[in-house]
Amino acid sequence: MYYKIGVDVGGTNTDAVLVSHDNNILAKTKQTTTLDVSSGIENAIKQVMLEAKVPKEEIKYIMLGTTHCTNALVERKELNKIGAIRIGLPASSAIPTMTDFPEDLKTILGRHLYMVHGGYEFDGRLISPLNEEEVKKCLHKMRGEIESLAITGIFSKTLPDQELQVATWAKEVLGENIRISCSHQIGGLGLLERENAAILNAALQGVALKMVKAFKETVSCLGLSSQLFIGQNDGTLMSLEQAQDFPVLTISSGPTNSIRGAGALSNVKNGIVIDVGGTTSDGGVLVNFFPRESTQAAQIGGVLTNFRMPDVVAVGIGGGTIVRFEDKKCQLGPDSVGYMLKEKAIAFGGDTLTLSDFYIANNQLEIEDSLQKAEFKKRIEQISDRSFYKALELVKEQIQLSIEKLVDKLKTDSKEIPVIACGGGAFLLPKQIEGASEVLFPEHLEVANAFGACIAQISCEEEMVINTMQNDEKQELERLLSNVKNELLKNGASENSINVLAKESIPLAYLPGAVKLKVKLCGDLIR
Amino acid sequence: MRKINKKDIDYIAMGSTVLGTGGGGDPYIGKLLAKEAIEKYGEVPLIKAEELNDDALVVPIAAFGAPMILVEKLFSGDEFINAFEMMESYLGRKIDAVMPAEAGGLNGVIPFSIAAQKQIPLVDADGMGRAFPRLEMVTFTLHGIPVSPITQADEKGNRNVYHTINNEWGETLVGATAIQMGGSCAIGCYPMSGSQVKKAAVHGIVSYAQTLGESILNAKEQNLNPMNSLIERAAAIKLFTGKISNITIKTEGRWNKGVCEIIGLNENQDSLMVLDFQNEFLMAKKDGDPVAITPDLIVLIDAENAQPITAETIQYGTRVVVLGMKADKQWRTVKGIELGGPKKFGYKEEYVPVEELNKKK
Repeated sequence: MYYKIGVDVGGTNTDAVLVSHDNNILAKTKQTTTLDVSSGIENAIKQVMLEAKVPKEEIKYIMLGTTHCTNALVERKELNKIGAIRIGLPASSAIPTMTDFPEDLKTILGRHLYMVHGGYEFDGRLISPLNEEEVKKCLHKMRGEIESLAITGIFSKTLPDQELQVATWAKEVLGENIRISCSHQIGGLGLLERENAAILNAALQGVALKMVKAFKETVSCLGLSSQLFIGQNDGTLMSLEQAQDFPVLTISSGPTNSIRGAGALSNVKNGIVIDVGGTTSDGGVLVNFFPRESTQAAQIGGVLTNFRMPDVVAVGIGGGTIVRFEDKKCQLGPDSVGYMLKEKAIAFGGDTLTLSDFYIANNQLEIEDSLQKAEFKKRIEQISDRSFYKALELVKEQIQLSIEKLVDKLKTDSKEIPVIACGGGAFLLPKQIEGASEVLFPEHLEVANAFGACIAQISCEEEMVINTMQNDEKQELERLLSNVKNELLKNGASENSINVLAKESIPLAYLPGAVKLKVKLCGDLIR
Repeated sequence: MRKINKKDIDYIAMGSTVLGTGGGGDPYIGKLLAKEAIEKYGEVPLIKAEELNDDALVVPIAAFGAPMILVEKLFSGDEFINAFEMMESYLGRKIDAVMPAEAGGLNGVIPFSIAAQKQIPLVDADGMGRAFPRLEMVTFTLHGIPVSPITQADEKGNRNVYHTINNEWGETLVGATAIQMGGSCAIGCYPMSGSQVKKAAVHGIVSYAQTLGESILNAKEQNLNPMNSLIERAAAIKLFTGKISNITIKTEGRWNKGVCEIIGLNENQDSLMVLDFQNEFLMAKKDGDPVAITPDLIVLIDAENAQPITAETIQYGTRVVVLGMKADKQWRTVKGIELGGPKKFGYKEEYVPVEELNKKK
């Protein structure tokens, strides 16, 4: 018997759940996210341990989902001083590194950019060999001026050895403490997007280091010796070491966790999940317990990358959404009072009419410190210029319309599928939605994201291009599969739980013989 | 003559994606290449075909290769210059202007980088007025203009010159060597005189692409609906409004073949549209009956922002509008239909112009 704790740090709340090894929720909490983040995490973990009353030593795993790295990028704060080397000359010089970066980010990160000879063709032939002198000359220019280095080689997804060689030289010249981001470990095919991802990753390594340190310290302060994991954007976990090396992969783990968490709470394999927060309702699609991925390349902090993010569509409906009345219609948002609900909302003596006010007045929601209902119901009637129930009806009609539009947008066909509600604002969702076979409000829905972090599996994926005129496609695919499997076992998966999420060989257009192989596996942590 | 700056390239690239009719390669890389070159060497003069001297030498310069390779092994820029200079030395005279071979997709913007570097004008014309998957599928072929000599160069410095017995062989041989070069290269082809351009090219296509791009990207500022302004500027026929319900892609040899299904909404409630593509969209059928057939243009547009969607990026659930646009009149001749019509792609349907198919009954 052992236990797990899942923690989700959002902009407003830090949620935690404590679950048994077979994923039964024993305790849950919602705490305010603190400025230093770690005391919020500490409070949340303390609270669930207090409630569940389980021995400390039996808490085997703690999983953390966090928006730390996303925020650092969006706010351009605490980014590492970086250098970047692209291996591929004479190819690729027409479009230099960071060509399409936002100007402000280019100014911060673009001081040491170099292109050197090297790189491979799709079939493994050399474009040109590496030149040690040329590479080291670049490295010497960066000495003492950078903390992290991003290394990107043409077709390094197929043959990573040149990237690894440059990494070795970098440690020689810049010292063992230099942090390195090799692109073949971070992004997929597509040089610019993969290079961008490696650069963002390098820039985030400082933030990640701090985050990991704080997480470790918080946990050990509480007297816990659990194994720690951090959630990544595909809904699976990585170790703290991996998180330090590949922080960019934690970006967008939030929506993934809530979609997976809601699916598991309601035991629904395929459906639509709507996570209602303070500002927006985020809809995603659950396919075989995993979020459907977007086919569009994801922009992170204004930079194009080739990560596959969950396909999430947002509408401006949340607990803090501002409600306005005009003639016969009422208008919801899209702006929200966000975490300022208790300062600004009518129900707490403020002057802004929000969605929460209606639901508190109608006894569908309880929040501490709210005023007498009769008192602010009158305020609502004044502002809306109609009776409370008439106004409420209009509000509900608008929500119904927006949510039905959202559901319709997410659906691929006209077949009715279940809709699962989750998040702190789930009370806003209607009980019946056109196009949905049913609307589910599972128990513990308000902490679906922390639960999602908790039930996450570990995964591993790899892709490469081969020339089938030289290599046997089947053999290569099996070899890739066994490499990925070994990697996964190394990371702590139990062998009999391993699942194949993708095993594909895709012939490339205009290139007879060239085939792209892709393998992705996932598995449970060893019990 | 007018000068093309970096902002114009954004519009032209957007318009090129419309003219790419779902294929032609994503102009993103071409756009960056052209903008880098303009930044470095200055703006590019765009001239009308009529401004050319009859004996001027005009050469279309193009990127040739697999879309997947083009995004991983980026161009060095030198391969285009090599293809260009090799053509000059082979013909023993200076090239007076370059021109896109294909205004749809990537190759609609690529030639701007050569024009900028060589400080020569780019002709406002091309050989397709859209995108097609093969080198011989250009209006130049309809006028008996040979593709050869073709010059070919890769980023490593390897070079070839071809003399082929016909234009189809040009595609075959250049295609075979391109694979050995690592899947991508630059070519110079269809060297022709000013008077040949005047007769055989699709005129004004670059400006047209820019207009289309502007109608999409500037509509918001002007408080216009981008979809309506695109339809108006393109003189397009709105074929269908709906939502992507299914998409299947398979690669067959050199082709990205597939079918995209769209469930009708609003005025098309209870209808189904099926788009067939082989790199480009070639056939649009509404409830089983064709409503647009190649060489007419079939364009898939995102209903929310009026931006064109390429076949590789089609996403379930996207609300879309399908537009039909008339192909250049040269494609609508007997010879044109033979070269770019449905039979060429293995369809048994006869070509009927899009405006005939959609006549109000």
